[in-house]
Amino acid sequence: MSLPPVSTETLGHLSDEPVDGGPAGGGKGKGSIVGKSPIQIALSRLLHDKVAVLCLIVVVLFALIAVFADALMKLFGVTTDTVRPIGLIDQLGGGLPLIGPPNNGFDPEHPFGIAPGTASDNLAYWLAGAQTSMMIAALATLVASVVGVTLGLLAGYAGGMVDRIISFFIDFFLTVPFLLAALTIAPIISERFGAEPNYPTIQRWTLITVLAMFGWMSIARLIRGEVLSLRERDFIQAARVLGMPTRRILVRELLPNLVAPIVVSVSLMLPTFVAAEAGLSFLGLGVTDGKSWGQIISNATDYFQTYPLYLYEPLLGIVLLVVALNLLGDAIRDALDPKTRR
Amino acid sequence: MRRSKPLALLVGASMLTLAACGGGDGGDNNGGAANDDREYAAADEIVKNPDRAEGPAYEIEDATEGGDITVYLPGDPGPSTLEPAEGWSVTGNSIQQALTNRSLTQYARNPETGGMELIPDLATDLGTPNEDFTEWTFTLREGVKWENGKDITPEELAFGISRTLDAEAFPSGPGTEYSRHYFLDGTTYEGPYTSGQPYKGVEVNGRDVTIKMAEPFPDMDWWGAFMAIGPAPLGEAAAPPKYGRDPLATGPYKIESFTPTDELVLVKNEQWDPATDPGRHQYPDSYTFKFNADPAQTDQILLSGNTASETVISTDLDSVNYQKAASELGDRMVQQSSQCTSFQYPVYDKTTKGVRQAMALAIDYEASWLAGGQVPGVTRVPANSIMPPGMAGKPDYNPLGEPTEFNPEKAKELLAEEGYDESNPFKIVMIYYEPDPLAVKTNDQLVRGFEEAGFDVQAIPVQVDPYDIWLDPNNATNKKLTLRGVNWCSDWPSGLTMLPSLLRTGAVYNTGGYSNPAIDKKMDEISLLPAEEQADAWGALDEEIQTTDFPIIPTAYRNDLFTHGTRIGNFFGDGAIGAPNYKDLYVISK
Repeated sequence: MSLPPVSTETLGHLSDEPVDGGPAGGGKGKGSIVGKSPIQIALSRLLHDKVAVLCLIVVVLFALIAVFADALMKLFGVTTDTVRPIGLIDQLGGGLPLIGPPNNGFDPEHPFGIAPGTASDNLAYWLAGAQTSMMIAALATLVASVVGVTLGLLAGYAGGMVDRIISFFIDFFLTVPFLLAALTIAPIISERFGAEPNYPTIQRWTLITVLAMFGWMSIARLIRGEVLSLRERDFIQAARVLGMPTRRILVRELLPNLVAPIVVSVSLMLPTFVAAEAGLSFLGLGVTDGKSWGQIISNATDYFQTYPLYLYEPLLGIVLLVVALNLLGDAIRDALDPKTRR
Repeated sequence: MRRSKPLALLVGASMLTLAACGGGDGGDNNGGAANDDREYAAADEIVKNPDRAEGPAYEIEDATEGGDITVYLPGDPGPSTLEPAEGWSVTGNSIQQALTNRSLTQYARNPETGGMELIPDLATDLGTPNEDFTEWTFTLREGVKWENGKDITPEELAFGISRTLDAEAFPSGPGTEYSRHYFLDGTTYEGPYTSGQPYKGVEVNGRDVTIKMAEPFPDMDWWGAFMAIGPAPLGEAAAPPKYGRDPLATGPYKIESFTPTDELVLVKNEQWDPATDPGRHQYPDSYTFKFNADPAQTDQILLSGNTASETVISTDLDSVNYQKAASELGDRMVQQSSQCTSFQYPVYDKTTKGVRQAMALAIDYEASWLAGGQVPGVTRVPANSIMPPGMAGKPDYNPLGEPTEFNPEKAKELLAEEGYDESNPFKIVMIYYEPDPLAVKTNDQLVRGFEEAGFDVQAIPVQVDPYDIWLDPNNATNKKLTLRGVNWCSDWPSGLTMLPSLLRTGAVYNTGGYSNPAIDKKMDEISLLPAEEQADAWGALDEEIQTTDFPIIPTAYRNDLFTHGTRIGNFFGDGAIGAPNYKDLYVISK
């Protein structure tokens, strides 16, 4: 469900870039040498990467759409409410809409057209789908990275028994096939919570949990490895000798040195989860109330020939978002990597 | 007969009716012109024709031998076993009864009227009942053979009939409903495998086989068309479950290979003698049935018109492709009534008649069909009575005075009369099958209709076949429900196979729990009436039940859309069972 890596393009772009802000960089006062932290350097490199900036804009745009989805629906005058399809749908014409695309002109009341069969508004569902997608991906990433970083730090720094136990769990979760687990969990949740009034919310949280549960291992492994090498360095040894409490060593000494790998893995985890959410919904797991791009695509495959727009709308959303997030992630990695070039 | 397609089942949970008049009242069954105005025939009534007793079956003009036919069954897992005594599904019975397994009687298409009729099969006639229908005698035809070349003996026929009483060996067979109810000692005799005892209710006398009944059973000739009422090898040779994998064929085709839910291949049975069979033909070399075919893929094959599609039949058409198929396939798209009615079944002791009537008016029939991927007026037709069209004695009445259609305002009035209003709404608790997106969309439309009429609705998503919930009295979800559903097809064109199965107190598929002792008594009384009065009596009872108690909401009569390739000859639907008529097919030679 993940996209193939697209980093080479970004890399090439980066390496052609003129040096700026480096030690020799002039511009601010004559000859003055301004000290910059690695993060500052990375940021400035990032801001000069045109692809990265464009991707950032796209991602921010989607984030805004997700946050203000309800307001946008009101603005366009569309809703996700169930409507009566009689009169809006061609009964003998394969369930295609009688208004708007594909057979009629643009309908200002339904800018994205209406869905075949049910006549629900495509724009409203697209916005709701964006909201679902962003919310689930963001929260799952947050949970997975917090869990992953914490366990990685603990395992790497404590070593011994703790390391072995945590490593066992990392390996254990890595061996469980994700799709199989999702397939098993979905019916159990529905069975247990189906009768609850807030079932759709429960469904979303389940999805977040499932995604996070199977997403934290890679980051935990990465952090553990980094910590293993860091903890033998002089500054950590010094902190220990000085009698610093463990928590302080972890948070104050180790964590700041891990910002780069964390940022990189988070930025690459997001698009994976966006795609995973859509993929699961496409399979009928996860969100089932239709407010998901994956579900719209699953519905739209039947209409691929007769009403392609219905398929392209959610597809465009997913592709744009996933590509933007991936490119952005790559750009961040390149920017943070001191080896790429200076 | 319950539908075997899971889709159809869940559709039973949710598919409903519209009430515009329409449906078509006559016209050619496979309607000529390929445009939107095509008219669809109401189902023809199925009649008995004892005169068509001698083989071979009528010659089909231009029919040629040879060729291989492939049948795609989209979204239909097919039978899990080929055991004749276990067969009680539209898919399995339609294939086996037409091609591999012979029984006492059979359905065949009358080439002149175009309708299906009941004609003799292994028996020389349609059976001779005694005065009060408590004894039926059938005479086994001469010269009928098993696929291994051995003669079929009357003893084997009698043994096959006694097998249907073995409810432990064949728990979901049709014998549990009919043999055990009507045959002598049906409730006490446990069957040849479970009890090990021979059955005394079937007597063999020369080539005559006499079946004794516990109570009058005038429909024995219809029941004899089930493959369950056919011969079986004596002793352990036909012991379940092994026999179900490759039962001995008696019809024009035998089983080459069978993989449940995937594929069934039939090849010519050389031992079948056309002279002994008044109904079947043996033109193609083989039949291949592909179960669980991908719907979109199947439609694409048919619509492509390429070489591979020429000898292909599909038993289902995605409504998305309806218009395209209508214009491109023309005559090669065939609509067939399937003798099935879909119902919503309000839980009887939790609702009043007024509430049930309000529910009937609050269902947005047409909208839910559309959302559920049906073609209103084509694959779903508005229903007024419990008995589907094509059934003898089907009454024409409107239980609510006028054709039932979506009318939330009137539903609200009815609810107000029952003392329900906005502050105190009636709560509908129902289930829907969540894994199927179409079922979810149908449910959305149902909920919308009910809410517009002022009901408080709780729709619970379930992951299992809704019947697993509805039929399980101990299920916690089931106990909460105030609205269930059922989807029923007739086993033969008599009200006997519809009304008691759905409305008798304690019947398995009486999901709403309707119970009215007076009605139960009337059902028993109808069996005692002279045969020719029974059809109308069932019709009258249908109307009486719906006008006095209105326990069940008929939402739709169901039709199927079949499509076939250019080289399939003589394709018609089988109105008796709601499947393609496999008996008369041939492959047009190039």
